[in-house]
Amino acid sequence: MSNAPHELLVVDDLSTTFTTMGGPLPAVANVSFTLARNETIGIVGESGSGKTVLSRTIMGLQPRSNVTVTGSVLLNGNQMVGASEAAKRALWGKEVAMVFQDPMTSLNPVMRVGKQIDESLRVRLGMNKHDAKARAIELFELVGIPSPAQRYMAYPGQLSGGMRQRVVIAIALAGSPNLLMADEPTTGLDVTIQAQILNLLDDLKERLEMSVVLVTHDLGVVATRTSRIVVMYAGRIVESGSTRDVFNHHRMPYTRALLDSSPKVSNASHTRLVTIPGRPPNLLKLTAGCSFAPRCTFATDKCHTERPELQAADEPEHAFACWNPLPTNTERGS
Amino acid sequence: MIRYVIRRILMLIGIVFIISVGSFYLIHLLPGNITTIIEGPGASPANQAKLYKLLGLDRPIYEQYFVWLGNVLHGNLGTSFISQESVASTIRAALPIDLEMIFISQILAFATAIPMAMRSARKPDGIVDRIFGAGSFTLLSVPPFIVIILLVLFISIKLGIPHTGVSTYVSFSSDWIANLESMALPSITLAIGSFVVYFRVLRSDLIATLQEEFITMARSKGISQRRIMWRHAFRPSSVALLGAAGVNIGGLLAGGFVVQFLLAIPGLGYTLIAAINQNDYLLVQGIVFVVSVGVVLINFIFDFIINIVDPRISRE
Ligand SMILES: Nc1ncnc2c1ncn2[C@@H]1O[C@H](COP(=O)(O)OP(=O)(O)O)[C@@H](O)[C@H]1O
Ligand code: SF4
Ligand SMILES: [Mg+2]
Repeated sequence: MSNAPHELLVVDDLSTTFTTMGGPLPAVANVSFTLARNETIGIVGESGSGKTVLSRTIMGLQPRSNVTVTGSVLLNGNQMVGASEAAKRALWGKEVAMVFQDPMTSLNPVMRVGKQIDESLRVRLGMNKHDAKARAIELFELVGIPSPAQRYMAYPGQLSGGMRQRVVIAIALAGSPNLLMADEPTTGLDVTIQAQILNLLDDLKERLEMSVVLVTHDLGVVATRTSRIVVMYAGRIVESGSTRDVFNHHRMPYTRALLDSSPKVSNASHTRLVTIPGRPPNLLKLTAGCSFAPRCTFATDKCHTERPELQAADEPEHAFACWNPLPTNTERGS
Repeated sequence: MIRYVIRRILMLIGIVFIISVGSFYLIHLLPGNITTIIEGPGASPANQAKLYKLLGLDRPIYEQYFVWLGNVLHGNLGTSFISQESVASTIRAALPIDLEMIFISQILAFATAIPMAMRSARKPDGIVDRIFGAGSFTLLSVPPFIVIILLVLFISIKLGIPHTGVSTYVSFSSDWIANLESMALPSITLAIGSFVVYFRVLRSDLIATLQEEFITMARSKGISQRRIMWRHAFRPSSVALLGAAGVNIGGLLAGGFVVQFLLAIPGLGYTLIAAINQNDYLLVQGIVFVVSVGVVLINFIFDFIINIVDPRISRE
């Protein structure tokens, strides 16, 4: 069998297409990657590149109507594509859980946060009221919420963004999932809080022996926290490899553009960012060529008419999709 | 929250004060000699004199008001010169009929609107939603008197449940079966109007709420569809529903006379129309006052419930 037992997640040729008024919208196309146990993989791309749709499709959380999913997602041996809501529900929370991007909207505003975590513990794990409360407070403590017993009674609106995200993480951890999907877990937060939350996730991953899919638009976030990186553009993987190879030996111009637009760890936070010129393509009007071609300084005629497939680079597990790749031997000076 | 409630109560007292002034003044607005107006053209001079003194018409008007208010606060709304009965006791006899009618109609309306709205919102524009939507739209466009005629046809004649009117009306406590039989038609008529409003308001708010991120998050916890609907979507979606219910129930209390008149149910609305026909102005005044205060109270109560349901509102 191709999926060795140590692979927790095997995504194979996964595509998600929305049926919209403007026609079919391929938000995710032909994505394949694997994730080992206790590994963290980074999924990186500009806003709109399909990261959220991909992570939700992996979980089977896509909207119920107007969407077609093809390919395969094996999560600890369970096929998620085409699975019934009931079958997926049995895995949600226990096998896989998600930390959502915006803690301002991902918590129910009219339910006390204690109730929201209690739900996972009592309904999903069948704990009694007393044990569930004790466990909830324990989890709040684990994610670094001060005076957890008081916070247990709070409504989300009474907590800061960072605190809310800790609550969301505590809820995600309630069912001891093997896989944690973190979809831009810090994008809505202050810079200092961002680092705290990311470090917390790192720490929890080690302690609780989870695998993590860390989704971000900021390569800086994944630099030190992931073993491998998948770079997405217009719903496709355009480069993937070990974190070191993606940073130092990337071949795809888009990856370089992303790196140039990412705040460097060494730079002061007020450094002005270089943004990638142009806009991501309209997914309803994709051409036959490379979807990055309209913005690419290396584009040739071929780029506009024929799409480059992923091809192996020199390094193991490193692949890129580009007709005119950046040279290999020169390490990128910065 | 406490400050909010105090502010609301002060406002309530202010509004009730204005209503009391308005109700009191109602009679003084009528043209002509008040004693003739109140007692009718055939009043004897003796009675007129009695009334003149009773109303304290020789005294300044603000004094008259405070005398009247003092009586009202003691539950005394005067004695009708037409029926020689205490206005308060007439109202006390009629009001429970309104309340029962409203109560039954609201139970019926909520019990149908909530599950149907939930079913519709689960798949907007799905087949069930379309059927419910078309059905509610049809009900919306049929005027109440047609509804009543149709209901009389179906319930009373086809199903053989008799509809009793004023002369045979029995209270719930003396014969609840007969009481409910006579309440069925008016309650169902009122329920239909309420149902349409509640169904539409709740459906559209549920659809909006179900798009929210916290619903996806609730789904990702692996809890059931049913639980998501009731525990997560319903409460934040019910603010507009409760607002509509407050306005609607107030409207039923104030506007119950249409149904009551058509079906001869001796509630406040029916009594009001009879009082107007008989020039029983003290009774009219009493009913107007009680109904107005009732409407304000109902809105106050629903406002309060909304604040409990959605704690975001009073925090702002
Ligand atoms: N429910 C949906 N219906 C139609 N299009 C959608 C839907 N959800 C996302 N999309 C489209 O899919 C593309 C990818 O979106 P998303 O995954 O949110 O990007 P990212 O998370 O990388 O910012 C966008 O073009 C977005 O408009
Ligand atoms: S294939 Fe062409 S357009 Fe696309 S990234 Fe490579 S060089 Fe640029
Ligand atoms: Mg996203």
